[in-house]
Amino acid sequence: MKKALIAMLLVLAIAFPMFAQGAVEEDNSPITLEFWTHEDAARAELEDKWIKEFQEIHPNVTVNVTRQSAEKLRELVQTAFASGEGPSFFNLPIENEYQYIEAGRVAPCDYKTLGFKDAADLLDHYQDGMIDAVVYDGDVYGLPLELTNWSIFINKNVFRAAGLDAETDYPKTWEDMVEVSSKIVLRDGDIITRRGFDFRYSYELTYFVPMVEQLGGELNEKEGCVNKDAWVKALTFMQNWGPQGLNLGNSSLTAARKLFNKNNGDIAMANTGLYQESRILTDNPDFYNSGEWMVVPYPVFEDAVKNVAGCYYGHFYMVNADKSEREQKMAWELIKYFLLTEGHAEEYLTNVGLIQPLKTLMNGETYQSMPYSDVFSGDFARSHIVYYGKGAAEIQSAIGSAVKSVMLQGTDPAAAYDALQKNVLEILAD
Amino acid sequence: MKKKLTPYSIEKKQVRWGFLFTVPCLVFFAVFSFYPIISAFLTSLTNRDAIRRTYDFIGFQNYTYLFTQSNGGFSLLNSLKATAIFTVGTFVPMVVVSLILAVLIMQLRKPGHSKMFELAYYTPAVLSSVVAATIWMILFQPTGLFNQISNFVMHTSGKDYQWLTNNSMLRASTIIVYFWKYIGYFTILFITGLASIPPTIYEAAIVDGSSRWHTFWKITLPLLKPTVVLVSIMAMLQCLKTFSTQYMFVQGGTAREPIDVITMNIYYTGVVNRRLGRSSAMSIILFLIMLCFTYLQFSTQKGGDDVEY
Repeated sequence: MKKALIAMLLVLAIAFPMFAQGAVEEDNSPITLEFWTHEDAARAELEDKWIKEFQEIHPNVTVNVTRQSAEKLRELVQTAFASGEGPSFFNLPIENEYQYIEAGRVAPCDYKTLGFKDAADLLDHYQDGMIDAVVYDGDVYGLPLELTNWSIFINKNVFRAAGLDAETDYPKTWEDMVEVSSKIVLRDGDIITRRGFDFRYSYELTYFVPMVEQLGGELNEKEGCVNKDAWVKALTFMQNWGPQGLNLGNSSLTAARKLFNKNNGDIAMANTGLYQESRILTDNPDFYNSGEWMVVPYPVFEDAVKNVAGCYYGHFYMVNADKSEREQKMAWELIKYFLLTEGHAEEYLTNVGLIQPLKTLMNGETYQSMPYSDVFSGDFARSHIVYYGKGAAEIQSAIGSAVKSVMLQGTDPAAAYDALQKNVLEILAD
Repeated sequence: MKKKLTPYSIEKKQVRWGFLFTVPCLVFFAVFSFYPIISAFLTSLTNRDAIRRTYDFIGFQNYTYLFTQSNGGFSLLNSLKATAIFTVGTFVPMVVVSLILAVLIMQLRKPGHSKMFELAYYTPAVLSSVVAATIWMILFQPTGLFNQISNFVMHTSGKDYQWLTNNSMLRASTIIVYFWKYIGYFTILFITGLASIPPTIYEAAIVDGSSRWHTFWKITLPLLKPTVVLVSIMAMLQCLKTFSTQYMFVQGGTAREPIDVITMNIYYTGVVNRRLGRSSAMSIILFLIMLCFTYLQFSTQKGGDDVEY
């Protein structure tokens, strides 16, 4: 009897789960997301707030945030992936991020979790062509945190101090830029004490390649630096700008955008993005509210054959393909919470100055009412995404090296071009 | 003739204990030095990329590439040149000046004075290299202290001596930073060496009527030979491994080529450009260079007489 009872209980114990018809229980076991991103105080404040809200909705989720400088983050992510210890999700500039897609290290978007039907539906929510860089084999591999282009910020006070009226005398061409900067620059002998404008050295793919394109040149994956004349002309312009020429600025001086917010008469113009507006507000509210700054379009050469503005670049949130499906899904949930929750894109824009190329945002009132958003939109319309193809980071270093060699070492621009083209072709062939 | 150890002899016991005491050190060396060297060598024979999942064995192609191609504009040959200029420009003056400083400090009669100088010279060595380079970058700026001093000394006005933009000046700037940072460290090593020379030898020299100059060349320097060799090896190896100063300068916007020392090229090639195979080959080349120089310096020491007090 006893044996029969035990046997019956065993059968029931096996049978009940087999025929259970109830809903599948959600896995609520603890899950930890490692989120690595670059430093930005205003964005950190927003995202920390949203992470807290997200964790209240998903109490089993812990989010560890690692914030590093943009440069450091690029190295950190790469080293972590090399050792198989990458974060759950991260963001980098597209020129550094694209290789992760090609190498299969990041997962395609989880459309269902993000609330889209498929890739086409997702793409339809963004401005045409603006996130094509993360489309690979028909799938989308990242959602844009920001798409940024740089126009020219002007300090009207410094213009006035140099006897200029910023509203009318602002530079429309690169030749104007030289002329205006020559009037603004102050020197003690050879030593510059006030600059008109200076470039964003080390980001040559963003600011210098478009200057070459204006002159008819190109950078492409097959032929490298196309049209020697255009490249030499652009390099000659840079040589003329530096200490070997008119001595208007150079790469070893403090970055223009870092000085701009201080409004202490050191610099009149800086090449930077819409995000600078929120940084001016944070760093120097008096200057922000004074109305003594303005933004004008990216200049072109007088004899430009192509009307191109500075390239735009993107930071995309991407999910590590090596993580478990559950972790990936939760990472996409959090990304969705950051980027696609109603009102968040507007908060990113107003609080941090980051533009997500969502149709609803860019055609909406919040974006249109941002100071000088029309200038950035105009520059977006005549620009394209930064080169992010093969060897992007190495090519940027090679171009940067060519620019510095003509500016600082007085290398002949034609010789600098020859060396650059040789190096770029070697990088592309490698 | 080889001495045969009898079982249970004291010597055998000592050998066992000796081996036991060296085991932790051997394990540490094997895990943290020997394994990475072997691993780097094996990686140098592949085309391993930091983020690609697979890689191939390519033999010595990375080595031939490094000696024949430009590595995207930042060739190994340029790095060897930059490293050689930096090492010679830093290591030779550093050894000579630290020796002179040590001798001068030892001449001070009041111990308080010598301690004060030791502390003053040693302080920069404690400072982080990154912080030191950042401070010096500010001093080398066109509006910085170095241009002002240069203008004062050279009786010029408003001249930019291009400490960060001219190739030679840029190299000199990195040498100055490194020299300033480590001179105290090597001075202390020399002071330790000098202190170990028995004063009776100097007393005998004084009795014999030897001049200070003569004493230095005939007594101090020969007896200090082991310290000189130690300091020169350490200083040279440290110079060959220099990184932070050059890296911070490049991050600050200076040109890379004139100061693209091997360690920095390894970093950019491997960490920034993801070419782990190629950067490992560079590491092995640097390792061999350091090995050769160390061997040469040890051989030089062996060639002379042993120092005994």
